[in-house]
Amino acid sequence: MKKVHFLAAVLLCILAMSLVAQAQDLRHIEEILDNLDAQSRFDGSDFSAVLTMIVEDLEQGIEKMVVRQFRRDDGERFLLLIQEPVTQRGQGYLLEGDNLWFYDPSSRQFAHTSLKETFQGSDARNADFGSSSYSSSYEIEGYLEGTLGSFEVYIIDLKAVDDTVPFPYVKLWVTKDSNLVLKTEEYSLTYRLMRTGLFPKYTKVGNVVIPVQMVFIDELIEGNKTQISVSEISTNDIPDHVFTKAYIERVNR
Amino acid sequence: MFLTMKVAFRNISRQKKRSFLLAGAIAFGMMIITLMNALTGGAVINIRDNFSHALGGHVFITGREWTDAGQMIMKIRPDANLDRLLEENSGQIAAFTRRSQAMPSLIFGSQQTLHMLYGVDFVEEERLVNSLVVIEGSLAEVGKRDDIIVLPEPVAERLGVEVGETVLIRLETLTGQQNVGEVQVAALIKDQEELGLSAAYTSRAYLNGLLGMEPHEYQILNMFVTDLDQVEQFARTFREGLMAPDEEEEQIDEPEVTVTVAGVPIDPVQRTEEVTPWEGTRYQVMNINQIMDAVELVVGVLNRVGLIIFLILLVVTMVGITNTFRMIMIERTKEIGTMRAFGMHQKQVKNIFLWEAVFLGLLGCLGGLVLAGLIALAVGSISLNADPSLQFFLDNSRITFALPGKDIVTNVVLVIFTSLLAAYWPARAAAKMSPIKALSSHT
Repeated sequence: MKKVHFLAAVLLCILAMSLVAQAQDLRHIEEILDNLDAQSRFDGSDFSAVLTMIVEDLEQGIEKMVVRQFRRDDGERFLLLIQEPVTQRGQGYLLEGDNLWFYDPSSRQFAHTSLKETFQGSDARNADFGSSSYSSSYEIEGYLEGTLGSFEVYIIDLKAVDDTVPFPYVKLWVTKDSNLVLKTEEYSLTYRLMRTGLFPKYTKVGNVVIPVQMVFIDELIEGNKTQISVSEISTNDIPDHVFTKAYIERVNR
Repeated sequence: MFLTMKVAFRNISRQKKRSFLLAGAIAFGMMIITLMNALTGGAVINIRDNFSHALGGHVFITGREWTDAGQMIMKIRPDANLDRLLEENSGQIAAFTRRSQAMPSLIFGSQQTLHMLYGVDFVEEERLVNSLVVIEGSLAEVGKRDDIIVLPEPVAERLGVEVGETVLIRLETLTGQQNVGEVQVAALIKDQEELGLSAAYTSRAYLNGLLGMEPHEYQILNMFVTDLDQVEQFARTFREGLMAPDEEEEQIDEPEVTVTVAGVPIDPVQRTEEVTPWEGTRYQVMNINQIMDAVELVVGVLNRVGLIIFLILLVVTMVGITNTFRMIMIERTKEIGTMRAFGMHQKQVKNIFLWEAVFLGLLGCLGGLVLAGLIALAVGSISLNADPSLQFFLDNSRITFALPGKDIVTNVVLVIFTSLLAAYWPARAAAKMSPIKALSSHT
């Protein structure tokens, strides 16, 4: 009888220890997510860059877009101004806190849109142009350790905590040593893979690490993908008036 | 009076050719106005019928509620109050449907197309199932399986999909999250685009799942009423019955139309409104007449244009009638003198002329109506292979004519009045003629 009690006690100890270890591991993953979000935010400085997008669409062919981005993460603001193609020149997106506006110079009208929407029919979404919010928008479902190419990575399964993000489920491949997202898989509510994101190249700007090459692949329509290259990066201060509707109206007049 | 009428009628038959030409001119005008009124009248009926068919009813109820995250979504939950109203007014309801709807991307291989998709309860919607013209496949499974889709043939052609193959449905949930479903093509149906209803159909429970709704919820309740004349009263009953106590009183007024046909809003004006979130579901009740108001306004303008053309024709004819009657007066000077010498009163002479004008007008009206009727019959029997957008004005590809009796009476009265007016002065001149002078006249 004593033997049985002893065995039960040992099993309970092992179970408790494994739970503690698991909790510690999850805490570690949570820290990674916090770190991912923190290192994607330009707190204390502004950010501007030129984004060159190559949109491959099987039906519409290949299209090049050039977009100038201005970002101020304090106050959740960004401005995306389309410079190419010429037919869309002057169109822009202005994020003011929770409100994202799309401006069309042909109608001179602002229309309310959402970070969840796709950007100009590409495979990128408006939310892809701001800082990430994995730690606040998702909860950890589980994780694995593995490799991606030659990188040691954590493969983290996330589930959205609310409806504010476009994809309810996300899988991240995050490097163990530097906490960089190398790959993402985004899933529908029915858990079908919808989009894969690849981030092969990063650059460090101050304390912030940003991907300078991104590839978003539409997993539902074979052959549709969007490549984004980031250049002309600057952290110089951007005047306040840039993040206004008036600026977007007159900038390409 | 009978004598004057008899003489007048005899006079008309004496100069058949002249009478025919005068009545013919009147008939032409009458024919034009009749055809125009009948054409617009028929178009209104067809548009109303086609709209009802496209929208799936005469009265439409939608529900809106706020999510915890402060987002307004469109859905109707099971509601005892709504069920009670349906029960209480069942005598006035010919049929009703509860549907969900979305405008998803339908994907097959590397092809995709945006298309209206209705989530329907195939068992409940026997009327819809019976109305679908199946080109390929079968509707036998539609009430038994949820993960199936019925596609219009042109959509299937665009996607390159065949019956039995699987199509992906990509859409956003009501709260904007991405979702994807897989459905098997059960049947290809004849496109009803000509009725503004190019839609695919799937099970409501399945579409609800993709939209993030419970299987028994829905987005729009469509009702066909038994008496279209009572549709506004019927809609008001539901509007007042479904109004939440905290809703503002002014909302009893009929709401602006926000109905969509195949996903396209009928109201082209985008309005921005400041709304304060509320608890529970708030309903909007709309009826077919609200949509038809705009159409009837256009038809009213057309009818007025037609009336102006008719009046111009009548004025021209009036001048002709006046001249003709002056000629008649001169021709019959001796005859008038004789009648006056035999004791006929001035008034009787005048009445003979006026009755002639009335008979001419009546003959013209009759001729115009007969001609319009024949043309309407001939045109109405032709099946037009018109542009799909024009099909909305047609009934099964045919032009239809409908003319209310009151319009005919109005037009006839107008013709008679103008004929009398045109003949009045020659008639008065004839009546005032001195019998002696008339008898000594050389004409």
